Amino acid sequence: MTASWERCIRLNEPLKTKPFVVAVALAVLGLLLGFYRELSGLGYVTGLNDGYSWGLFKNWNVTALTAFGSGGYAVAVLTWIYNERKFHPIMRTAVLTSLLGYGSGMLALGFDVGRPWNFVWLAYPKTWNHYSVLWEVAVCMTSYFLLALDVENMPPFLEKMYRSGSGEQKMRAVKIFRFLQNIFPFLIALAFVLPSMHQASLGELMYLAGPRVHPLWQSPMLPLLYLMMAYILGFACVLLVLALSAYVWELGWDREILGRLALWMAGTALVWAAFRFGDLAYRGVLGDAVKFDRFSIFFLAEEALVIVPALLLLSKARRESPGSLFRLTFLISIGGLLYRFTPTSLAFSPLGDYRYFPSVFEILMSVGFTALAVALFLYAVKTFAILPATKGKIAAEEAMRPFDTL
Amino acid sequence: MDVNRRDILKALMSGSALAAMTTAGAPVAKAGAGDPVPPLPDAMGLMYDATVCIGCRACMPACQNANGLKPDLGASGGLYMQPDSLNAHTKNLIKLYVAADGHERSFMKQQCMHCVDPACVSGCPMKALHKEPHGVVGWNPTVCIGCRYCQIACPFNIPKFEWDKVNPKIVKCELCRHIVGKTVSQPACTQVCPTHAVIYGKRSDLLAEAHLRIKAKPGFYFEDRVYGETEGGGTQCLVLSHVDYSKLGLPKLGKESPAAQTRRVSEFIYRGFLTPVVAYAGIVGIVRNRWREHLKHTHPAGGDEAQGEEKKA
Repeated sequence: MTASWERCIRLNEPLKTKPFVVAVALAVLGLLLGFYRELSGLGYVTGLNDGYSWGLFKNWNVTALTAFGSGGYAVAVLTWIYNERKFHPIMRTAVLTSLLGYGSGMLALGFDVGRPWNFVWLAYPKTWNHYSVLWEVAVCMTSYFLLALDVENMPPFLEKMYRSGSGEQKMRAVKIFRFLQNIFPFLIALAFVLPSMHQASLGELMYLAGPRVHPLWQSPMLPLLYLMMAYILGFACVLLVLALSAYVWELGWDREILGRLALWMAGTALVWAAFRFGDLAYRGVLGDAVKFDRFSIFFLAEEALVIVPALLLLSKARRESPGSLFRLTFLISIGGLLYRFTPTSLAFSPLGDYRYFPSVFEILMSVGFTALAVALFLYAVKTFAILPATKGKIAAEEAMRPFDTL
Repeated sequence: MDVNRRDILKALMSGSALAAMTTAGAPVAKAGAGDPVPPLPDAMGLMYDATVCIGCRACMPACQNANGLKPDLGASGGLYMQPDSLNAHTKNLIKLYVAADGHERSFMKQQCMHCVDPACVSGCPMKALHKEPHGVVGWNPTVCIGCRYCQIACPFNIPKFEWDKVNPKIVKCELCRHIVGKTVSQPACTQVCPTHAVIYGKRSDLLAEAHLRIKAKPGFYFEDRVYGETEGGGTQCLVLSHVDYSKLGLPKLGKESPAAQTRRVSEFIYRGFLTPVVAYAGIVGIVRNRWREHLKHTHPAGGDEAQGEEKKA
């Protein structure tokens, strides 16, 4: 079963499969509901109210799922800063999950804000509130998406353009590629600094809410814990995507790459847990963790889901077994997403008698935005050279790689 | 391969040089961004004394009229204005608290507290919520993106949102800033209050008055203190009552505003804007070496495939 991934190939598979059709249908439904929301107002489509004014879109699609979409950022740090060169073959998969994860989150945000036309003011520095954490998130996320993620995902597109374009297009592809080669280090650095800033800020957002967030989560350490969780979930997302792809499309299983990535994930998760408990102890609220009320149960579930799989993954045998690697990574993802989701929702208590549960339309929209990312992923891996493959598969696809540096 | 010492040194040097260049011209966060904000000397506000309020609710329709809000008939069945909480049609609400035993009771006037250092203003990404002259917290529809972070941030749960509108507004008391000083001298609620339970004035004068009342009747007001003097960094609307303030829906807040605490965390991380700039420069330094190394691996002969392709094409 073991094999070594060399570099990326385009999947030579039919696009219109059942999962693709389902994903497209869900995405279309979500977008149609989104347009209905623009014509009707938020109250008709969502379960949001004046107490819980942030719901599924911001708390799940943006705060939780963009952490899941941090794979491009997290794996790039290993590849370029820790110089783990073995990760190069999976970089394209990683940056694609980031592009789609962030794109889907920002789409949700676009439908969530009440007065989206005023986004034009983001181009006018006089209206910026530099002290606003949300301003920092908005600017950083947008610029990361537009400046770094887009460009990081260019090479597969340029290859395609080179391969199937006219002579003039071939020239243009090469020109753009050479330009990218020159600015690439500056982009990588941008793709490190910007997500570091806004993933930390996503945590700091809730610090302003002060006592409205339960003390098990409310902490000045939120920025650091959120940032570290972005790494853990980023690794987890890339692992899950690669494991599923390898299983579905028989790409082989590169033990070294996947095992090493899982070790990074488990290690980061344990360091995170140490900071998490250290913070609780320092603030003297460890007692709240064992009260076995609603908050304590969510907290214990979250810690168990992160820590137990991380400890199990310290065993080399488990990391090398595709089944246990997938299952344990899946559990860590649930725990991590729960941590990113909770401070904005489950642990948030406004004054007064307010209840919130997402409406059916809201859930359909939220699912639709995610389904859009899945559909685009399926399209991308069957159109461009994204997924890593073994030598045997590469031979058949050699013509896809006119220039190979990324 | 590891970076050698010279490379790191070079990266750090270019980092600090770049940082110096950028910070010299760029707007840097004021020194002490996390320091407590003192109230403006001419800060205006309200003082509501629940022990004087007779619960006539005259201030409520006055507020609706002055602000052009349509009455919320709520639970009344259609005849009376009867909102059950602050909402998109109600900026001002008189509530009655009755203890379970029925003995302890107090009215409560719920509205924007016009914090000295408001969380909503600190959090608003676009300066839509902002401090007007006299420290009044105003809302500007021209730049508001409707993100509703103000609703998440406000410890008093005051800003409300028009959930049923395509062009939704944030609704909250703005101390009648559109008429005070122009056609009238004080907000609608204080103007109509028959017992002067709520009065309008300079925050410093109102505080002095509150302390006079507490001094005149020691042990009468709850803990002999006025709510809003220090809570959450202080508010410009003050409340006096003989009942525990937390029972009236006023949260227990520390002396420091959450806004100042959050700014301090930001300042700790960003150091003006120095951290991201230095990090960026340092990483460019590291990645440039990695990149050169990577090109050597993918183009072992030092040749340039892309260049070759270009010539062929």
